[in-house]
Amino acid sequence: MSDFGGMEDLLQDFLQEAHDLLSDVDNKLVELEKMPDDRGLLNDIFRGFHTVKGGAGFLNASELVTLCHLTENLFDRLRNGEIELSPELMDIIMAATNGVREMFGELGQMVQPQPADPHIIAALRGALEGEVPGAPSSVVEAPPASAAATAEATASAPGEPDWGSLHAAVSGQPVSHGEFIAKAEVATESAAPVAAVSVAEANLTPAGGAPAPSPFGRRTTDRPGGQPTSARRTEERGRENTIRVDTARLDQVLNLSGEIGLTKNRLTSLRADILAGKNDSETLHALDQAVSQLDLLVSDLQNSVMKTRMQPIGRLFQKYPRIARDLARQLGKDVELVLSGEETEVDKTMIEDLADPLIHLIRNAVDHGVELPSVRQACGKPVKSLVRLEARQEGDHIVLIIADDGKGMSAERIRAKAVEKGLISEEEANTLDERQSLNLIFLPGFSTMAQVSDVSGRGVGMDVVKTNIQKLNGSVEIRSEPGKGSVFIISLPLTLAILPVLLVLLGDQPFALPLSMVREILPIDRERIQEVGGKETLVVRGEVLPVVSLARLLGWTLEQPPEYGVFMQTAERSFILGVDSFAGRDDAVIKSLEDFKPKGVAGVTTLSNGQIVLILDMKELLSDLGMRTDVGGSSRMLDFA
Amino acid sequence: MADPKMRILVVDDFSTMRRIVRNLLKELGFTNVDEAEDGAIALQKLQGGGFEFVVTDWNMPNMDGLTLLQTIRATPTLKHLPVLMITAEAKKENIIAAAQAGASGYIVKPFTAGTLSEKLNKIFEKMGLA
Repeated sequence: MSDFGGMEDLLQDFLQEAHDLLSDVDNKLVELEKMPDDRGLLNDIFRGFHTVKGGAGFLNASELVTLCHLTENLFDRLRNGEIELSPELMDIIMAATNGVREMFGELGQMVQPQPADPHIIAALRGALEGEVPGAPSSVVEAPPASAAATAEATASAPGEPDWGSLHAAVSGQPVSHGEFIAKAEVATESAAPVAAVSVAEANLTPAGGAPAPSPFGRRTTDRPGGQPTSARRTEERGRENTIRVDTARLDQVLNLSGEIGLTKNRLTSLRADILAGKNDSETLHALDQAVSQLDLLVSDLQNSVMKTRMQPIGRLFQKYPRIARDLARQLGKDVELVLSGEETEVDKTMIEDLADPLIHLIRNAVDHGVELPSVRQACGKPVKSLVRLEARQEGDHIVLIIADDGKGMSAERIRAKAVEKGLISEEEANTLDERQSLNLIFLPGFSTMAQVSDVSGRGVGMDVVKTNIQKLNGSVEIRSEPGKGSVFIISLPLTLAILPVLLVLLGDQPFALPLSMVREILPIDRERIQEVGGKETLVVRGEVLPVVSLARLLGWTLEQPPEYGVFMQTAERSFILGVDSFAGRDDAVIKSLEDFKPKGVAGVTTLSNGQIVLILDMKELLSDLGMRTDVGGSSRMLDFA
Repeated sequence: MADPKMRILVVDDFSTMRRIVRNLLKELGFTNVDEAEDGAIALQKLQGGGFEFVVTDWNMPNMDGLTLLQTIRATPTLKHLPVLMITAEAKKENIIAAAQAGASGYIVKPFTAGTLSEKLNKIFEKMGLA
């Protein structure tokens, strides 16, 4: 089943760390294209491959070792100035990096990686021998005889350097065994330009020669400089089940839980006192103190535990410059992805769920937003376009911004397109303002390009981006100026574990509504209710809103008409939810109902008095009634789309 | 066999590798192990005193293993410390450089507990600890 019996833990650690390393290498490669002579970058990239190679060796992933080894050697040559970096060489390196990534994917599935694409291996070997156009013919100085000999002796027996002889040789002490000298002569004769490399390789590639092509012909399409993005798709990996936490944060959790233990002991002893009839003011004061302390400690603990789930979003961001670079190159565009706010911390689950929408928005910006260099030049813009990816915390929200300086979007054209696609009617289109028009691109089935280019996605549209963001209780906003560029602003709650809710009452029964959907609360004056098309509606500041009674949504019989209305806004619609009364607001800790999930219920929470409250999933409740078509159907629907 | 309580410092920037080396050392009975992420941090820890053995990677940011080794050998209070270099490099230049800098041993990745034990014992022998 697994090629890694007993090493699964190690493998997971390795993959997590190696993935980060590779992303870092990817970004450094993008930078390297701009500064091909930067020794610091070359060193860092060299070290990245070197480190992966070292770890892969322990996992017996020999194909990964081979690939990393060749790439590492190439960077060794580059940093020593023996080879020059050419665009062709860069393509080979990028392909090799993709190869390494694919192998990580295989390792992630617990199988030893297949040999790398023979084309890549051959290209790397060729490059090492200086067969890349533009590279000077490179010759490694033949090392001094004794040194070559000792290294030969060392390297030929893996992990078995003859340290004594080596030291003797280096320090110039007489060498006693003749065998040693004989070897020295052989080594001198064979000191070919790539001697050092081939010696090391002999150890690393058991088969000796170049690795055999994959029996499945799996990578034959993945040629150097080909389509790196398609290669990447195969590496989509499952969710990470592990998390890296700063030990200081864990210590804090430990410390707090210890404190809580102590307070609990105090309470236990107070309980004994009180049960024994001791209820003088001193005891009660002590009880009061202990409970307040517990209160403080528990909320601290909640915060600390929450913090252990927070990860810097930079871990997600670091994958993108490479994706943007590959895509731009493929499209013949010159794009730089500028990152900022990488240190912003976001809940781990959210980071994973954001990966796809962000990739999509970045691809969208590079593909649809940014113009071709010739067009940009004609418009008097700089040829290189900037795509900005930014994260920051604003109050209790995380804001993500994807901005490009491309051609922007024309509200006019978007409206026309939506009408043409039959997504909205001509009349509806005429009532839309600028913002509403831009929001049309989030409708399923919308795409501004006459032809969807193969790079923009896997059949995922902007509607999926929107849906995914909404799943995280977030929202997306677009701003665009024709000729200047577009900005996508994503706003997300800090965490998903705590949900601020409004508690409404239906009779005596409380229900919790997500507060993020609540706009305002208003009394329902029966006389102001108007019947429109057989539905009850209420006009609020000039907007006609349908009134839906919660009792009806839940299938209860209406004992009395609702007295209060909650003005609710979801992504697709706005309406007034009729309820009897309110019980206040609360920060609900959501417990999911795993085995038994009634429709329309997102989960349950416990109130301070111990009562259990259902948290309603408005979307599900509404869909039950077929509300999509008859609630806020017309232009309202687009207002928040 | 040397004292299993011997305090060992494992230096590597790749935490997976530190874990591997640590596990191998544990297999050999050495449990008093501390870790450092690079040469600079290692040097700080070493200057704090108490360490009797250093196992270090070569390629690291900030301060690499070779510089660490050279610094150790140039520091009167540390120069006696045995230093075992671990690297994925079997290149002659590297091995020579390590030897010249005064490494007590050199081990090429990947290796097994057996190999590590052999290397350690050789060093202990030389130090007269065996």
